Amino acid sequence: MPNDSLKDSLAEKRWLTALANGDPNALGALYEMYGERIFRYAFRMLGNRTDAEDATAETFLRVLRRSAELRADGAFRTWLFRITRNLCIDKLRQHKLMELPPDAQYSGSDERATLRITVQQALADLPTEYREPLVLCDLEDMAAREAAEVLNISVPALKSRLYRGRRALRDKLSGTLERNP
Amino acid sequence: MNENDLYSKLVDLYAEHALPADMENRMEAAAANSPELAEEMMTLRGAVDLLHAEEAPEFTEESYQRILLKMYARGVELQTKRPDPIHLQYQLPIQG
Repeated sequence: MPNDSLKDSLAEKRWLTALANGDPNALGALYEMYGERIFRYAFRMLGNRTDAEDATAETFLRVLRRSAELRADGAFRTWLFRITRNLCIDKLRQHKLMELPPDAQYSGSDERATLRITVQQALADLPTEYREPLVLCDLEDMAAREAAEVLNISVPALKSRLYRGRRALRDKLSGTLERNP
Repeated sequence: MNENDLYSKLVDLYAEHALPADMENRMEAAAANSPELAEEMMTLRGAVDLLHAEEAPEFTEESYQRILLKMYARGVELQTKRPDPIHLQYQLPIQG
């Protein structure tokens, strides 16, 4: 295991134990460790900043609420993503927030920004069962085993959805891919 | 697994740059004789590359602070290493 991962794992264990013991620094430390990744994931699922911030805050509130049950055995990060995923799915059901985010800001040249908007729109148009593996594996760079655990499916099922999702995305982007080989 | 399934699987692995170099060369040699396979390989890899090149949404300082505020608003006491933003450090004098 690389040194950084080992350090993160030890720090996670320490802070989870501290959280269970009521240490007020613990939740802040866990937010420092995972807040950005959870926010990014929520943003990619929901498509807008405000809802992603709400989902991130609610995720960490649930960490606090369940502090006595949390196990520092390496499964915490997966559990965190699973909680965020459930919150995002609830929000999507409530608000049908599948349109292009109104507050999305894209930097770079016009051509690059257009390309990003096209990719975002194509992703948002995919059925959730295809979009989720793409977000976790291709955008968040999560290993297949962990992504499968977050989605509560087997690794072969995850890969099947991932490959189908990529083909579906490719079909939606066909014109774009011809212009940007 | 029939021949089509096998090709489909290989194209999936080619698209994510997961094939060993010699297998990738063999796929490209096969594609040279099959425009349909070449199109499939090129477009799928293009889609995967586009995804991998996507920039992550920026986790701004404002977002970081707003998330903290949402937690404070729910009665949670938590401390972080980052200093509070200036506008939260000092109370403004009450006027009037």
